[in-house]
Order: sequence, then structure tokens, then C-alpha cells
Amino acid sequence: MNGALPRLVFLLGLLVLVSLLGGCRQRGGEPAAELNYRLKWLYNINTAGDLYAQEHGFFTSRGLKVTVKPGGPERDAIRELELGRAQFGVASADQVIRALAKGAPIVVIAQLFQQNPLQWIYRSAGACYASPRQLRGKTVGITFGGNDETIMRALLAKYRIAPDEVNLFSVRYDYTPFYRGEVDLWPIYRNAEGIVIAEKMAKAGEQTGFFVPDLFAVRFVANSLITTRSMLEENPGVVRSFRDALLSAWQEAMAPANAARTIALVHAYDQGTPAEIIAKQLDATRQLMLPENGRLGRIDVAAWQQTEKIMLEQGVIDSPVAVEKALLPDGL
Amino acid sequence: MLHKRLSQFLIIYFLGLGLLLAVKYCFGLSDYVIPGFTDMQNTAQAVAAGYLRAVLDTLGVAVIGHVLAIALATVVAIVGRPDNLLGTMIKTAAYNLQAYPIVAVAPIIFILLGDGLPSRLLIAAIICYFPLLLSFIGILGEPVAGIEHFYVVTGRMRWQLEVKIRAFENIHKLITVVTGSATLAMVGTIVAEFIGADSGIGYSLRIALYQSDIAKVLVALFLIGVFNSLYLVALELLGLAVRKRMGVEQRTQQ
Repeated sequence: MNGALPRLVFLLGLLVLVSLLGGCRQRGGEPAAELNYRLKWLYNINTAGDLYAQEHGFFTSRGLKVTVKPGGPERDAIRELELGRAQFGVASADQVIRALAKGAPIVVIAQLFQQNPLQWIYRSAGACYASPRQLRGKTVGITFGGNDETIMRALLAKYRIAPDEVNLFSVRYDYTPFYRGEVDLWPIYRNAEGIVIAEKMAKAGEQTGFFVPDLFAVRFVANSLITTRSMLEENPGVVRSFRDALLSAWQEAMAPANAARTIALVHAYDQGTPAEIIAKQLDATRQLMLPENGRLGRIDVAAWQQTEKIMLEQGVIDSPVAVEKALLPDGL
Repeated sequence: MLHKRLSQFLIIYFLGLGLLLAVKYCFGLSDYVIPGFTDMQNTAQAVAAGYLRAVLDTLGVAVIGHVLAIALATVVAIVGRPDNLLGTMIKTAAYNLQAYPIVAVAPIIFILLGDGLPSRLLIAAIICYFPLLLSFIGILGEPVAGIEHFYVVTGRMRWQLEVKIRAFENIHKLITVVTGSATLAMVGTIVAEFIGADSGIGYSLRIALYQSDIAKVLVALFLIGVFNSLYLVALELLGLAVRKRMGVEQRTQQ
């Protein structure tokens, strides 16, 4: 009996270690037989192109075997890339810059949104935010710690609005304070819940508008396609094929002629959202991904640099990361 | 007792930390996935004061929530201890209600009560209330035949006396259950803060996770562990004092 307990503890420890090491399997290196692609969020309109690529054979036609995996609040594509559990992923620019600041070996191979969908909804009756200066005295919802806080603080600083001139309201998943009129502007993803809330309020006879930071020269990049530096260096062909497949799929998914197919596909994965709402979400997404004269997937280096500058000024990162070095040029 | 509890926690915490660092350096992972020692040290220096205040705030709410849960569980267990229709209904309801995940119930609580102190208190109390209730019903519903028989046959048995006899005879179990549920109260408060509150260490953890900052999470976990250990020690000392006052210790030694 003496010594049985230490042996048991040792064996348990060994078991835990083996499980952990098993989880951290081979990274980068050899071309993966099967590629895992970790999305940023659950299946919804923001994953339309990803689902389109998977369902309409864009990957297989290029000889790629890809498993598209939904994201979520506890999923972090960057961590999964480093741990070798995924080879490609979607991450927001702030995630990418934070990760670069901590030495993560990642590269951005395409920028999905050309305009950040993170905007603020407001009741348009009696309110028009032609300038951020009109935010003075208003109650503005922000998610403390989220990138909407960083964007709003950058905007306030840029327009020399002292933080105490605006009432910042801590936002959660419950929209009641906005519906009740306790909060004037509420952060939402314009092409996703923005459509749903605007619809609800329209049914209640209230018109809404969107406050868009990009219009006031605060350009904070949103979702982008990423991979690891080792994957890019060792398998540039796979990376190129993957990026081309995905961007072609997004292009087709966003084309007005294919709208019915895209709506049906997104609805099949996101059955909680009615097809007519998805149709409106698709229109909004198209404008964010394909602005006038824009090109799908284009990496806007200046916007990335501004995003880094904002994060630096807001103290989100301690020192510059030279983000442009992690942005892949179009020629790959 | 204090030394034992704290050293147990520190051993487990630093073993876990060592394992994480081993994985990090074995696989050459960046500080984004697992923070390095220097990163943790810098983060600790930067956030320790704020996190300390947050943990004390959380602990305060957890203690009040725990006391509320104990009081409520005691009353309901006394009412529900007889083996009659009411007792059976209370037991069934307790078993069923504790199956509801608090993360599903919490948003409703926040909608009704807002994101202030009442919601945090209620969620902390709910999380530790049901396990307490079931244990209390089990203990107070179990007759102590050797002693109760005398009062029953002489017709002097009253419900107050019955409760006193059962509580006295099972004081050791009751204290263990109350001490054990303290951790649940702490967990409940942190969950509430994580989901909807604007203060406390659960709220700080939420922000740290938003920022993908594992170093902050590790600092928060350290402080939560230390203060949870201190609370458990305080309860154990209180239990010891109660037992001494009731003369249970002397009787056990005899």
C-alpha cells in the first residue's frame, strides 16, 4: 500500500502529459493531407463564402481536402494554427496584431471585409451623427475589452472628445437598454444582428441608422484569412490554392445572380435566421466586402497600419509590431 | 490549517503552471498561446492591484450569497425533512431545479434584476443553494433513533427538538457540507460576473479573454485560488469553534 499512491499520482501525471503532448501535434511542416480551416464565429452570413467553397467543390477542384470548422467565443484560430490543429483560419485584425505582439508566427493572406462591419446602430428620428462631435452628451454602448471599445476610444481621441463628455455604457448580449432608449448608440455587426434589430425596430415604427467609424477616417480592419509563416514558406502552392479557392467562392457567393443559392446554403447551416433576413444580410455583406472599386480579398496595408497605430495609442499593445511584414503581397 | 490549505493550493497551481511552460518550451509556442515567465511577471505587476480589488469584491459577494444560501437551505430543509407529501415535493423540486445550467438561467436573472449586485448575489446563492439543500434535507431527515425514541415515547418530541437533535448529532457533516459549498459560492459569483456584471474578478476574466490575454487569466486564477483557500480556512476555523462550543470535540475525544 505504501508507495501505491505516489505511483498512481505519477501515472496520472504521465497520462495528462501524454494527452497534452498529443494535442500539440506536429506544426506547420509537411503538407497536410487534410486541411482544417477554423472560422471566427458560428455559421452565419459572415461565413457564406466559406460554406460556398465547401459545398460547391471549390477546394476539391484544386486538389485540397478541407474541413471547415465553425468558430465561437472560446475558439481562437490563431492558437489552433500554432498548435497545428488548423492550417488556415479567420481572425480579426486586433487578434492578429495582439498575436504578432506576442511573437505568434502568423501571416495574413487575404482581408475579407473591406469595411469593418462593427458599427453602432441608433434611432434616426431626431438624431443624425454627421460628425463624431455629435456624440457629446450621448450614451454610447461599448463592450469593455472588446475591439468596439478600442475603435470608439480612438474616434473620441481623434475628434478631441474627452471620455467624460460621452457616457460609455457597458454592453452585453441583452439589447433591452437600447430598446428602452437608455442607450443612444449600440455596437452591432451591421450585416448580421444589425439587420435583425433594424427590422424589429422598423416593425415597431422606429427608423434606425448606423454610425460608421470608417466614414470618419477611423479604419479598423476586421476579419482576415490567416495561416502560419511555416505553412507559407514550406507549402506556398497549398496556400495559394487555398486562398484562390476561397476568394473565388466568396466572389460567387456574393454575386447577385447566385443570391438564391447563397441564401439557401446559409439558411441550411443557420436555420434560426429566416431566409428573408439572410437575403438582407447578404446585401449588407456584399457592400462591406465589395465596396465600390474594391477587390475581394484585397489587403489594405494603410488600414492595417492605422489599426496598429490605434492599438498602440490605446495601450492595447506595448510596442509597434510592423504589421505590414505579416501581410502577404498579392503575388504570394 | 491556513498553512496546509495555502501550500496545497500553491503546489497544484505551480505544478499546472510548470506543465504549461513545459509544453510551451517543448513546442516553441509563442506568448500568445502560452505566456512566458517574463510575460506573466510583467502582467502580474501591471494588473495585481486591480485584480486584488476585484477578487475582494467577488469574495464579499460570494460570502453574502453563501450565507443567504445556507439560511434558505436550512429553512427549506426543516420544512421538507418529514417524509410526507410536502417533503417529497421539495426534494423532487430541488433535484430537478439543480439540473438547470446556470448559464441558461443567468441571462433571465440579468434581464429582470439588471447587472448590479442583486444579480451576482442571487446567482452565487443559487449555485451553492441546491447542493446545500439536498445535503441538509438528507441530514435533517435522518432520524437519530437512539435519542429520539425516548422523546417520542414520552410524548415530548417537538419539531424544534427533533431538528436540534439531528443537527447536533450530525454537526460534523453539516460543517463539512457548508465548507464544501463555499467554493461553489465563489464559482457562482465568478460565473455571474463573467456573464453579466460590471465588476469583480469574473468581469476582469471576461475582459482578459476578450483580449486573448492568458497571462491575465493565470494571474486571476492565482488570486482566486489564494482567496478561496483563505475563505475555506476561515470556515473550517469557524466550524471548529462551533464544535468546541457545543462540546462535540470533548465528547468525540472521550
